[in-house]
Amino acid sequence: MNSTGLSRENDAETPSSGGHRTVAASLSVSGLSVHYRDFTAVGGIDLEIPEGEITALVGPSGCGKSSFLHSLNRLTDLIPGCRVAGSIRLSDGTEVTHPKTDVLSLRRRVGIVFQRPNPFPQSIRRNFEIPLKEHGWRKRDIPDRMETVLREVGLWNEISDRLHKSAIALSGGQQQRLCIARALALEPEVILFDEPCSALDPIASGVVEDLIHSLRGRLTVVIVTHNLAQARRIADRAAVFWVRDGIGTIVEHGPAERVFTAPSNPDAASYLSGARG
Amino acid sequence: MTPPTPRARPVAPVWLDRALAFAGATAALLSFGLFAWLVWDLARLGLPRISWTFLTGEIEDAGRSGGIGPLLVSTLLILVCCLALVIPLGTGCALWLSEFVRRGSLAARLVTGGVDLLASVPSIVFGLFGMVFFGQTLKMGFSILSGGLTLACMILPILVRTTLSALEALPADLRPASAGLGLTRTTSIVKLLLPAALPGIVVGITLGIGRALSETAALIFTSGYSIRWPSSFWDSGRALSVHIYDLTLNVPQSGAMASSTALVLLALILVVNSAAVALSEHWLRRRHQTS
Amino acid sequence: MLGLLALVAGGMVLLIVWYLFSNALPVIEAGRLAAFFTDSLWQPRSQRDPQFGVVSMLVASFLVTLLAVALALPVGLAGAVFHRFYAPPVLERWNRRMLELLIGVPSVVFGFWGLMVIVPLIVRLAPHTSGQSLLAASIVLGLMILPIIALTSQAALQAVPPAQLQAAAGLGMGRARTIWSVALPAAKGGIGAGVLLALARAIGETMAVVLVCGNIPQIPKSLFDGIRPVTSTIALEMGYATASHKALLFCAALILVLFTALLVGWLSFRKVESDPGTGGA
Ligand SMILES: Nc1ncnc2c1ncn2[C@@H]1O[C@H](COP(=O)(O)OP(=O)(O)OP(=O)(O)O)[C@@H](O)[C@H]1O
Ligand SMILES: [Mg+2]
Repeated sequence: MNSTGLSRENDAETPSSGGHRTVAASLSVSGLSVHYRDFTAVGGIDLEIPEGEITALVGPSGCGKSSFLHSLNRLTDLIPGCRVAGSIRLSDGTEVTHPKTDVLSLRRRVGIVFQRPNPFPQSIRRNFEIPLKEHGWRKRDIPDRMETVLREVGLWNEISDRLHKSAIALSGGQQQRLCIARALALEPEVILFDEPCSALDPIASGVVEDLIHSLRGRLTVVIVTHNLAQARRIADRAAVFWVRDGIGTIVEHGPAERVFTAPSNPDAASYLSGARG
Repeated sequence: MTPPTPRARPVAPVWLDRALAFAGATAALLSFGLFAWLVWDLARLGLPRISWTFLTGEIEDAGRSGGIGPLLVSTLLILVCCLALVIPLGTGCALWLSEFVRRGSLAARLVTGGVDLLASVPSIVFGLFGMVFFGQTLKMGFSILSGGLTLACMILPILVRTTLSALEALPADLRPASAGLGLTRTTSIVKLLLPAALPGIVVGITLGIGRALSETAALIFTSGYSIRWPSSFWDSGRALSVHIYDLTLNVPQSGAMASSTALVLLALILVVNSAAVALSEHWLRRRHQTS
Repeated sequence: MLGLLALVAGGMVLLIVWYLFSNALPVIEAGRLAAFFTDSLWQPRSQRDPQFGVVSMLVASFLVTLLAVALALPVGLAGAVFHRFYAPPVLERWNRRMLELLIGVPSVVFGFWGLMVIVPLIVRLAPHTSGQSLLAASIVLGLMILPIIALTSQAALQAVPPAQLQAAAGLGMGRARTIWSVALPAAKGGIGAGVLLALARAIGETMAVVLVCGNIPQIPKSLFDGIRPVTSTIALEMGYATASHKALLFCAALILVLFTALLVGWLSFRKVESDPGTGGA
């Protein structure tokens, strides 16, 4: 059994599998804005998110990082009164913001992990069965799929003997890795992380960070973090959010190396040097 | 290397969503429809008869004609007796629970447990109890007093619970503040806590009145069936709900009168319960504004 | 002083049980309690052959209660799901208002309406019966507890943590699967509590039932047979009961109280048990 990774070769696709993913996808965002009723939280975003790389989004609290992140897989649909304008294009041409786009399969392709671990308060096994069944995995394939991803996040040895026990009995760090495994189980092309470590202790946080780092090259990762050191350690690219005229926007982006060492925008520079934020 | 696992179908069954939506809408419509039907029937049968003379007149021909005047008075008197007992008893008990014993102490748990169990007692059993305790042991016989006191026992849990939650919702610094001012406990309760918790207590009383108005089974063996104008609390007197029961059970061809009575009763309860809802919403809003 | 009031309030239930018990005592002392369960008929006033079989009434009480819940639960729950997940929030709010008012409708009004409307409908369905039957009683009782079940279910669904629903959405789960696999399991406890509450209310209910149940003390063989639950028996017979007959009725009331107390006790026990769990990790 392969314990280190999912294969990404371009296998023969099952015709019925509806855009079955075999490679990571890139995202290209242009002219994006997110509105909550009359309030514009985020505006004027243009960003290329290359495939297989880790893109870190940083910036002070309330500048719209989560709003932007949630618009990438239309989780903004859940909030009454929230509207997204502009374009987000996946590399196969799918327009995320288009109203006719099938959001359910979009969200399978663009997975998300939240700040607070949110396993379903049911057995660990059910946590995989529910979403996998929803996306058409056959019942007999589910145990293998679950084992693969649990190994991948390093949980298999810790919990393989209590798969029938409640997921909320796990520690916070374990729960978060379970949530990552659950997202990975759906074979996403892009995975979004919204401050995945900020509810965890330093050790668990390190484990999760390594895990995210290990995804590099195999799928596209977008991560929001307040931990600049962490962003520096794992990111290939970085984007700095800042509130300008009351609207959150990206003031600086590019290769992480350059953004962190030689930012050209003064706000970004002061934020990154720890002066503000 | 694991090959990507094959998936049977692209995404979720839409039919389940459709089925759920359909079943849900049907159920919602059905329940709404049934209740609308009930109210419509009562209004159709009962509304034409309702007039000032109906509300004030005496019962005639065993209830086939005439009015409900004495019943309204009896109902009111029963409520008066009921509230006279339940308000001091309920608020007193709630005050003791919130101010004089620690939450979770054995005494508090026993009392709240007793009150909760009391809430579970079927109303007909209150009727039996009232009959033997108030009626026989305390020698009140079939009387408005006996009926009212029985209802008081029945709605006691409502009042205790709402008053208790009103007291517990008070700002935590109210008590140390009053102690800091050197107020005695009695002063602090009478001058500070009770006034502050009054809205909650009023809501509890209103809810209790609604419940008492709608009660029948607890009254048939306590306040009885007399249809004369009551002249004192010691007289037997028929409540509105008991009237509906008696007409339906014992008086043929009285459907229209029963409907009219039911309509009056429903209107009263509607007013009382809406008042409770409005009061508690008003009170909640004010709390949010001030805090 | 206040302690005394609290003692009275808390001890009231004991007083009630004590009074029921002391009035039921003649039966128990006379050793007739066994007859309560072994006699097959209920004819306590018969001179020649008095019989005290209460089993048919207990069975009737249980049957009508269970049927009422079986009718009200699917409707109430499906309605709650609809209002929570499909209907616009305005509708949900109005629906809740309506339910809150309906909970206050006197049960005697349900009974009266049932006799006027439901019973004739049943006669049309089964022409050779009186219509006053197990079915009629179940429908009327079901209608009465419907608002309770609907409201508690709605509250339970409302209390499902948003994080759970967000997790489901983040995994690309559709509405149906989210409801079925996430929301309903999470709301299970609250819905169950509502059902228990409704059960306790239903089994102790008198007025919604007595007018439409037919009042025949028998174990029903079909939905259209008349029945006579415990509460109806008490309501109808206490007016003229004397001596051991009266004691028997008190005995029946005692059984009723013990049963509802058991239900409610279990309910609060469940609450205590599940409270620490709801805090999550
Ligand atoms: N549901 C909502 N309704 C209205 N306004 C919202 C909503 N969610 C977020 N906002 C507003 O949008 C702005 C951006 O919020 P967002 O949560 O995206 O910021 P953030 O960068 O993720 O902050 P943090 O680092 O604290 O998580 C804030 O001003 C916030 O008040
Ligand atoms: Mg955020």
